[in-house]
Amino acid sequence: MNEKKLFEIIARVFNIPVNEINYESNPENIENWDSFTGYVLLDEIETNFNVTFTMDELLEIKKIDDFKNILKKKGINFE
Amino acid sequence: MEIKELSYYINQAKIIKPENHQKKIRIAFVGSFSLNGFEETIQVQCNDEKINCITYNSPYNQFTQEILNENSNLYKFKPDIIFLLIDNRIILENSFYFSNINSENKNKKYVDKKINEIKNLIEVFTQKSQSKIIIANFVIPTYTPLGIYESKIEYGIKEIILDLNKKLKELSRNIDSCYVYDFNSFVTKFGEKNILDYKKMNYGDIKINFDIIPHLIYDFLGYVKPILGSNKKCLVLDLDNTLWGNIIGEDGIEGIKIGPYPEGRSFVEFQKVIKALSENGIILAINSKNNQKDAMKAINEHPHMILREKDFSCIKINWNDKISNMREIAKDLNIGLDSIVFFDDDPINRELLRMSIPEVNTIELPKDPSSYAQILRNLNDFNILKITKDDVQRKIMYAQEQNRQKLESSTENLNEYLKKLDIKIKIKLDNEFSISRISQLILKTNQFNLTTKRYQEEEIKEFVEDKTMIVGCSEVDDKFGENGITNVFIIKTKPNEWIIDTFLLSCRIMGRGIEEGIIGKILEIAKNKGIKKITATFIPTEKNKPAENFLKNYGFKKEKEHWVFLLKNEIKIPDYLEVELK
Repeated sequence: MNEKKLFEIIARVFNIPVNEINYESNPENIENWDSFTGYVLLDEIETNFNVTFTMDELLEIKKIDDFKNILKKKGINFE
Repeated sequence: MEIKELSYYINQAKIIKPENHQKKIRIAFVGSFSLNGFEETIQVQCNDEKINCITYNSPYNQFTQEILNENSNLYKFKPDIIFLLIDNRIILENSFYFSNINSENKNKKYVDKKINEIKNLIEVFTQKSQSKIIIANFVIPTYTPLGIYESKIEYGIKEIILDLNKKLKELSRNIDSCYVYDFNSFVTKFGEKNILDYKKMNYGDIKINFDIIPHLIYDFLGYVKPILGSNKKCLVLDLDNTLWGNIIGEDGIEGIKIGPYPEGRSFVEFQKVIKALSENGIILAINSKNNQKDAMKAINEHPHMILREKDFSCIKINWNDKISNMREIAKDLNIGLDSIVFFDDDPINRELLRMSIPEVNTIELPKDPSSYAQILRNLNDFNILKITKDDVQRKIMYAQEQNRQKLESSTENLNEYLKKLDIKIKIKLDNEFSISRISQLILKTNQFNLTTKRYQEEEIKEFVEDKTMIVGCSEVDDKFGENGITNVFIIKTKPNEWIIDTFLLSCRIMGRGIEEGIIGKILEIAKNKGIKKITATFIPTEKNKPAENFLKNYGFKKEKEHWVFLLKNEIKIPDYLEVELK
């Protein structure tokens, strides 16, 4: 359920279909993912999952999988 | 205009095609911090206003170079308007943090130096460009290095910023094409902690939170509209539950709510904001379904009214539909429908107006009038870049020229609209559970009431039990929801004749032909029971003018003081109504 939620946020922010998203998605293979839309994505994920990323966590993020791992650490279930 | 989240604008900006709009504007953003998202948002918001908008965003924190270098991309872009945003930390540098280290004198010199730098930038820009320049003022920080001791010293950080803002304003007053945007007030309105997220600031030099950007751009649009003549000139107002609480035709001048008590204050506040707008040259008009006499009495004589007859340049208080009235207002005042903003508490009227005259900006209102004033204050439609003598004279001029020619009602639109309303009428006969509501309507309804007979609850109970009498009521629903019991009728039955003793309709549902549906159904029921004729009476009062022509228009024939319908005649029910007997 949370995977669906996460992917839907990503789809909305980058304006792409959900089925084009997977955990390996990153700024290289999502055209609309630039530094600014990256911030917008962070913001939407924080708001919608009601979590706050620390600066260290932000700097670690290279692909969608990293979001999942940080969210899991914050108690969001991805099973 | 509904303000949406930033990602909506970013995505929408990729797909809009604004080339077709006649109004065009070139907007540049020049800032000392990241202004990402501004371009997309203003493109989309302009497109919603039918403005073709081309934007430019200066490279990050290069505002000085962009303005001083006449070969910069900013000048190549040839903007019509630029927004210049410089934040405290950039303009004040270390003084932002260490205002307490320097002497008062040194701080003052520093402020003068900075104001001169800005002055130079603005002067250079206005020499090199025809564009308007809007500079955001500085935000008074919630923090001071001196803490509570700040109030004891001259020229602490807060006073430094106040002084900067004051000097900035003086500067703009002497340069025609330069305006100061009160960013400090914007931050106060939304709250510093909602606007500035330190993590985002450190990460991407983002100093305005994403969900706030669309609101800031909405304010910026307030400058764009008057440049293009897209600002509004006229505010059209409904009366009942818009300018005052309650219904003048029902509750009378003593019963309407406006004044210094809880349910009256919202309307006082709202009227004061309207009055202030009219002082800027915005013309006011009334579009209301009411008896003109009742309403004008309230406007002229109610002790707590702020707006009086002389404040309105055009007054349409009658029983015509609001669309025809709106067209007449535009015609009488000789203004375009697209320069009108309309306030009406009734969602059905609003929907009707939006559907028939989309050019008019019909404002969505909550049920509670407490926020009416704030909604009006927040509109970016009434901005003006200059107040001329003409503006102030305009309303007087309109009032003088006002002619009250009657226009034919545009019924085609109305019928089409009524069809889309999905009106369902459920008639109930002799229903004991409805008695208290029936009694309430009988005691209260003044306007659409054929006989205005008043019966107490006990009397109605007796009628319900009486086999020779019928007490009926109707629930009216439409696509916007349930209106509950809004009609009552009482009939005295004889072997061959039914006599309508009472027939009334709540003012909430007037003007939709509902009365014809109900009377038609009553006639059908009577016919099925073998009744030959129906007799009704209209007893005129000061307030029941709306019901005056109902019987005649339906097809009743006058016989002495009564109105008679012979059931061998055709019974009509408007085809857009669904009427059923429960």
